[in-house]
Amino acid sequence: MDPSTTANLLLTGLLRGGLYALMAVGLALVFGVMNICHFAHGEYYVLGAYAAYFAYVTYGLDPIASIIIAAMLSFLAGVVTDKLLFSPLRKRSKGDWVVNAFLLTAGLSVVLQNVYRQVFGMRYRGITQYWNASIKLLGMNVSADRVIAFCIALLAIAALWVFLQKTRPGRAIRAVSQDEQGAVLLGINLDSIHTLTFALGSMLAGLGGASLLSLSPAYPFGGNKPLIASWFVVTIAGLGNVQGAIIGGLIVGLFESVSYFYLGQGWQDVASLGLLILLLLFKPTGLFGTQIKSVWER
Amino acid sequence: MQQSSGTIQTDHTHSALPLIEKLKSLGLSLPLLICLTLLGLAPLFIQDEYILRLLVISLYFGSQALTFDFTGGYINAVNFGFAAFAGLGAYAAALVAIHTGLGAWAGLLMGALITGLVGFFTGLLTLRLRGIYVSLMSWFVGMTLMALATALEDVTRGARGLIVPPIYENATTTVYFYILFCIFLVVFVILRLIIHSRIGLAFRAIGQNFEAAQASGVNPTRYKLLNFTISSACAGLFGGFYAHYVGIITPDVMNMGYTMEIMALAFIGGSGSLLGGVFAAFLLIPIFDSLKYLMDYRLILYGLLLILVMIFYPAGLAGLYQTVIQKIKLAIKKQRPAS
Amino acid sequence: MLSVTNLQAGYGQLQVIWDLSLVVEQGEFVALIGANGAGKTTTLRAIAGLIPKQSGNVTFMGQPITGLAPHMISRAGLVFITEELNLFEAMTVGDNLLLGAYSTADKKKTNQNLELVFDLFPILKDRQKQLAGTLSGGERRMLAIGRGMMADPRLLMVDEPSLGLAPRVVIDVFKALKALHKIGVTLLLVEQNVNLTLQIADKAYVMEQGRIILEGGSAELLKNEYLSESYLGLR
Repeated sequence: MDPSTTANLLLTGLLRGGLYALMAVGLALVFGVMNICHFAHGEYYVLGAYAAYFAYVTYGLDPIASIIIAAMLSFLAGVVTDKLLFSPLRKRSKGDWVVNAFLLTAGLSVVLQNVYRQVFGMRYRGITQYWNASIKLLGMNVSADRVIAFCIALLAIAALWVFLQKTRPGRAIRAVSQDEQGAVLLGINLDSIHTLTFALGSMLAGLGGASLLSLSPAYPFGGNKPLIASWFVVTIAGLGNVQGAIIGGLIVGLFESVSYFYLGQGWQDVASLGLLILLLLFKPTGLFGTQIKSVWER
Repeated sequence: MQQSSGTIQTDHTHSALPLIEKLKSLGLSLPLLICLTLLGLAPLFIQDEYILRLLVISLYFGSQALTFDFTGGYINAVNFGFAAFAGLGAYAAALVAIHTGLGAWAGLLMGALITGLVGFFTGLLTLRLRGIYVSLMSWFVGMTLMALATALEDVTRGARGLIVPPIYENATTTVYFYILFCIFLVVFVILRLIIHSRIGLAFRAIGQNFEAAQASGVNPTRYKLLNFTISSACAGLFGGFYAHYVGIITPDVMNMGYTMEIMALAFIGGSGSLLGGVFAAFLLIPIFDSLKYLMDYRLILYGLLLILVMIFYPAGLAGLYQTVIQKIKLAIKKQRPAS
Repeated sequence: MLSVTNLQAGYGQLQVIWDLSLVVEQGEFVALIGANGAGKTTTLRAIAGLIPKQSGNVTFMGQPITGLAPHMISRAGLVFITEELNLFEAMTVGDNLLLGAYSTADKKKTNQNLELVFDLFPILKDRQKQLAGTLSGGERRMLAIGRGMMADPRLLMVDEPSLGLAPRVVIDVFKALKALHKIGVTLLLVEQNVNLTLQIADKAYVMEQGRIILEGGSAELLKNEYLSESYLGLR
């Protein structure tokens, strides 16, 4: 394989991987802290895409402003979702609320997708590009949109990292993910932390959707692919493991890029599944294990 | 996981007829028998093709909800690739019917077998892991199945559609109904017998607390695998029927939306009740169908109902039924002097 | 400071605590002793707000706290150090301690408390950057207590601090508790080690099967016949 193809594959894979990482991190966060298998994650990606589209196209805002607005709206949507849906669920059910939450997000996903369809119609809302430029990397011309999206993803992940490690609410989030009772006994308000976590996860998803608008237009079912990809990454990396999700995202991005090149679209899915099966056979808890006390049945 | 005791009523009146007792132990209590008889006789009196079709579809989705609940309501694992499994059964049955002369029943059996096998391996991979892994794995397997169905165009004819011969020459909707009805009855009785046996207890134990189940001597992995394989096989069986009934199948039958519908029906009916989903199907599908303008919103309503049920009434229709029965019994007791 | 009246509590269908009343005055060092299964932990958990099924009244510093969410009770100054410790295993010792001060806004106080914790448990200072999950049993308990101290408690409830610890470590832990008491922290201790506890506590309540069967100053209790036979003779 000649070097330019390799470079191309590498680049595509990494750029894709960066965005996968972004989505997966949000998912891992929600799962690690709230123990919810979030099945509507893709719908917040789409929300971000729609928001950015309308900000950029309809209101003529600057690309960066549009993306930021989209992120903020997604954050807000996350807050509303938690307060409206998960909070009452937590208050009402005691033991089995985790499974019910999972089903709830499945129902939410269906509702949101079809609401989008009713409100926005089936039209694809995309843009050709935010920035009319291409950047030369490794001897190839890559669209500026892609590179900037990748940088945004990296920045967001880095910012999240700093937030989780160095700030008070961030530490509280980590604490809740490790020992809920311990956190509560130190005065941490579980409800607030859950809302914050979910809002962060939604924001990350929306950020992804907004930055990739030129590559994946906003349309009602546009959340399916990002959802599948993020779950794939999270399962490979280890449920609930946020750091793992980052590396996992890059790995999956590269893997998909390579397998797509050799196998074409149809078989690429099969290859991905094959990878997953292999992994589960040898390391069931994912490449990086998990931070959850036990992934063995509780 | 909310579990109601199914439709068995704790009835303190002794019946002189051993037959009735036997039927009860099979899960066919009196109210249920009445419903089943009505359902069974209905097609004989209905001429309207539209209503007959509704009956078949409602029963089909109800059967799948029953199958889904066997896993979702007991071992705490949600088969997220359910539609794909059913679709696999559909394709298997269709291909057998088309390419071999073995007849429809062989095809249905093949559908059940192949899907059961896939279910077996899916379960095998995630044996010792939390329920969520089985759900995720079945989801990925389901997507791969769908991708395969599209990719293997030579075999499945992909999106152009695979035409499936009818289950018998000149089979009418009524014939299809009775075929499905019989399959449904058999499957229901078998599943219910399993649930009310020691095996079913093991299922429940696993669903509640895997480690505790292990500690009490149950081999959870074996039972988990058993459960998942059985429900996969049933999904494939009914899927095979669907192929013959609908007459043409495309990879879209494996669409996630169908999984959601079946899941919604199962949970709205009451997780663990087995039959709750059937009642939910007969309730919701005709309603959605007759109110044509609701069709667009069908999935939204399913989703909303699922959400509402999860938050406010996890016991579902079955729970509602139990509550009503209890109230009636209490009211009756109050009428009679203390016995 | 803490007043519990007619507490009934349990788990699901099972009632564990029967009509329990106790009082902890400000500055006291009170012990709750009894055998395994007597309901001591349940009592503390109930006070801390961790048990939904309870009735009775709990007042802390004059305010009723029955039915309050546990994080609110913690913020009010009633800090509970559980027997299982509930440490944040994947976080460093330092981060664990910092989290202890989550509800304190006063930076200066936090730093003071941190100094105090390191004074009492110098080993924690050495292991600051280590992950909590890698500590030994005694160190973990010290970390748990240190973390509780960082919460600037008015009343500290500690559940079985000596459990599973080597005797030398137990002495360290009890020394720390005494030091805390000295600087004015009110203490409610649950312990199985009756002898040691009665020697440092001011007064004690003895529990059996969910009820208080004996109460009084430590000195008298040490002489109590029943206590000596049932609890001290074996120790």
